Amino acid sequence: MYKLNFKIALRSIWKHKSASLINMLGLAIGLAACILLMLYVGHELSFDRRGHNAGQVYQVMTNFEDEKGKIGSTSELTSNMAAPTIRQEIPEVIASSRIGYGGLGLVSAGREGFRREVKFAEPDIVRMYPYHFLEGDSATALSSPQSVILTRSTASLLFGRGPWIGKTLRYQDESDLQVSGVVEDLPLNSSNRFDVLIPWSFYESKFEWVKVPEWGNYNWQTLVLLDKKADVVAINKKLHGLIKRHQKGSNTEMFLYPLSEKHLHGSFLNGKSVGGEISSVYLFTALAIGILLIACINFMNLATAKSEKRAREVGIKKTLGAQRSTLISQFFMESTVLTVISAAISIVLVEVSLPAFNHMLHMELHIDYRNPVYWLGMLACILVTGLISGSYPALYLSSFDPVRIFRKRTPRSGMFNVSFRQVLVVLQFTFTIVLIISTAMIYRQVGYIRDRPVGYDIDQLVEIPQEGTLTGKFALYREALLRSGAVTNLCQSSGSISRDGSSFWYFEWPGMDEADKMVVFNQIVTTYDYAATNGLKMLAGRDFSREFASDTAGVLLSSKAVKVMKLKDPVGTRVKYHGEERTVVGVFQDFIWGSPFYSEKPMVIAFNPGWSSQITLRLNPANSLSSNIETITRITKEINPAYPPDLKFVSSLYAEKLQKERILGILANLFGGLAIFVSCLGLFALAAYSAEQRTKEFGVRKVLGASVSSIMGLLSVSFMKTIFIAVLAGVPLAGILISRWLNGFDYQVSLSWWVITLSVGFTLMVAFLTVSMQAYKAARTNPVDALKYE
Amino acid sequence: MIELKDIERYYSNKGVKSYVLRHVTTTIGQGEFVSVMGPSGAGKSTLLNILGMLEEPTYGKYHFMGEDITTLNERRRIELYRSHIGFVFQAYHLIDEMTVAENIEAPLLYQKIGGAERKSRVADMLDRFNMVAKKDLFPNQLSGGQQQLVGIARALVARPSLILADEPTGNLQSVQALQIMELFKKLNQDEGITIIQVTHSEANAQFGNRILHLVDGVIKDDDILSK
Repeated sequence: MYKLNFKIALRSIWKHKSASLINMLGLAIGLAACILLMLYVGHELSFDRRGHNAGQVYQVMTNFEDEKGKIGSTSELTSNMAAPTIRQEIPEVIASSRIGYGGLGLVSAGREGFRREVKFAEPDIVRMYPYHFLEGDSATALSSPQSVILTRSTASLLFGRGPWIGKTLRYQDESDLQVSGVVEDLPLNSSNRFDVLIPWSFYESKFEWVKVPEWGNYNWQTLVLLDKKADVVAINKKLHGLIKRHQKGSNTEMFLYPLSEKHLHGSFLNGKSVGGEISSVYLFTALAIGILLIACINFMNLATAKSEKRAREVGIKKTLGAQRSTLISQFFMESTVLTVISAAISIVLVEVSLPAFNHMLHMELHIDYRNPVYWLGMLACILVTGLISGSYPALYLSSFDPVRIFRKRTPRSGMFNVSFRQVLVVLQFTFTIVLIISTAMIYRQVGYIRDRPVGYDIDQLVEIPQEGTLTGKFALYREALLRSGAVTNLCQSSGSISRDGSSFWYFEWPGMDEADKMVVFNQIVTTYDYAATNGLKMLAGRDFSREFASDTAGVLLSSKAVKVMKLKDPVGTRVKYHGEERTVVGVFQDFIWGSPFYSEKPMVIAFNPGWSSQITLRLNPANSLSSNIETITRITKEINPAYPPDLKFVSSLYAEKLQKERILGILANLFGGLAIFVSCLGLFALAAYSAEQRTKEFGVRKVLGASVSSIMGLLSVSFMKTIFIAVLAGVPLAGILISRWLNGFDYQVSLSWWVITLSVGFTLMVAFLTVSMQAYKAARTNPVDALKYE
Repeated sequence: MIELKDIERYYSNKGVKSYVLRHVTTTIGQGEFVSVMGPSGAGKSTLLNILGMLEEPTYGKYHFMGEDITTLNERRRIELYRSHIGFVFQAYHLIDEMTVAENIEAPLLYQKIGGAERKSRVADMLDRFNMVAKKDLFPNQLSGGQQQLVGIARALVARPSLILADEPTGNLQSVQALQIMELFKKLNQDEGITIIQVTHSEANAQFGNRILHLVDGVIKDDDILSK
């Protein structure tokens, strides 16, 4: 019987080619969207959870408190004393490692140098991350200070084919390290990724400030591995007050947080986790379910659209002795067969769109066909989809009474059935409208933020890390560049102007009160020409100048800083910056340093030649861009031959700040578009169904003299009512959701009525076109054809 | 075989009862060939549906092979008619997605009859109705008369003791109609299958041996035809 049902299902798919195509297309799109989103969700959910002891790895977190003991902020950074002290005082901790960020370091073997991501860590780190060692012994790989662990791709980049172990590479053009281990490249859903892992002992030998025990410098991550039976709540109680015992007057506390939870729940407010990436997991899951549900609803509507015909078949089979359960299983068989075919198409769709999707999201998602989990997931997906989409037709159609059918009366679908179908359509379009309005608002918000004035002249601005011999030969470098004419100005700074990187408190100024000590200021440390190079607008005073020797003890304040500090006449004010006496020499207009979605902290720019790590160059607009870049590259290579010049445009660095929201916009647009497309497919079929049901009515009306347009109106109006209900439900829902999203930003567009009107208008128009296509067909049929069956 | 006692069937609409069948009492024995005749709306089809257990009488008793149908649950009822009753329809009602052979096989599937047995019975039927060459065709590839032959073959394959036919020749041309009626007569006489048919045609009725005249839901005449 199943074989026959299966055969019949295939035949009926083949026979109703266009309906099946619409059906499969909708389902395939729904499934493909669902698979894509679930791949993403799976990627996020498995973050830092792949090791066999992943649940025992904890990150030491730091709470910074104000003088009243209220937690001001929570950080994943600790001092270099956290790990050894915890290890000593908490016996349940069986392994620990400090991790230092080495940035993009220069590694070379032979002449050519490469920039690779460098981390420093203690030997225990191999017990916390599930590194897959291709070469070397994990237990001893980090024991010698001159050793180094590479990832496979870095090793082959440097040395070509393996074996790599024992080979020597040069780090930062000054130290030789011997390869003691090669691991498989780290997956993207792992924290603390690296290309090059260097022992902490090497890090300490290079930098005195890393080596000296210090409780007050929060610069490193600390991971600990707990014993299986350890009670983390009890440990956290023991950790409470630990820093204060060791350092009098400290206002920080430590606690352990599961590393596997940190990615998803890593945002803290008042010391409590308030979410993290989990919100995007929720969002994507909701999207996936929504799209799939729309496709399933479509299937149901399309199945009932054929109910006239199916009803007869049900009747016949019942008189032949079929029981309802047999018929139900037959309908489920059909929906499952269709789902399986759609799933096959969807896998093709996913494979085709994955590269673009990955590129957009900066991910490496893929379907791992060897992994049974994917197959099980796929199977579950097919079964659930088949079950959901088959449920309504199966239960509804199988309930048909043969007698009524043979009386040649249309099976009167009672009030319940009609309204149920309408409820489904309302559901579909509510979801669609929410997506469309959200898309429009996300685009508007991103556009608004993109057009916010940056506060400095972002075009023709290039930055390059100050590394190698550039630090010592900066004066020479400056001279050479200015002489070449490729740049009109340049400056040194402690960090990029495109990304906030440093802040401090305990700034002192005349007239401050006690609470002002805790005001957090952003800081950039520079030498000369910072304002001129970047094009900052000076509101009072001047930039640091070589003509005033005293400027080396000067600071610049942002206009917001002046406001926060309540200074009447800021220039010339004496302040204390990191305990040093300084004089305010100028005030500049606020610029966007951090995220453009949020308001900036007050900012201090201080003079100190020792802190520089970046050089910013103002290109000469008189020359072509390429010739400027060429000249700069050449001069940089001449002066700093060991390092490949790494020029970056500030404008493109700035654009990355909008990346997350831009992606959200693209996704909302993509899935919103799919949602409306699939919904309209369903509406199309439903209109066909309705037209079929009312063939006789329309025939009679036409015989009585009704015009084509009046009949079209008749059919369209009944559908537009349904869509209208969806609008009434969808608009407030979208309003609530989007306001909540917008409220997360300091700078936000307001929810404008014209966006809603336009979105609703668009939806109504698409829906109307869809329905009226069928309505026109129905209205144009010859009344004789419609009536002769009676 | 069939005993109807005081069968009534009415629909209530806003408290007004409209009767389809009234006080129908009759007995039909094994091996009879009964034609139900009457004007449109007389309740012929309703009577046939009640006999076929597709519809329940509002009132009255219906005994089929000694069992009181009105008290049976649905599952038992389906089992009963599955094994004893075959239906033939005016519009053939073949399943479009199934081939001729599959259509004939369908009732056997629902009776959960084994594969080998099914095959031989279907082959038997195809043979008997000279349709071996057409067994893999679909209904829409056949003429009306051929479709009705398939319909009858389907009704017979389960070896029913009763065939209920609702205007079996209503959609057919006279030559084909004649053929079908001859077939019915043969089945009745040679195999002893009880046949009850609804018909408008006096000529068709003459093939049987009894005519029930139904007018406004009431049996007006019950003629036994002499051979």
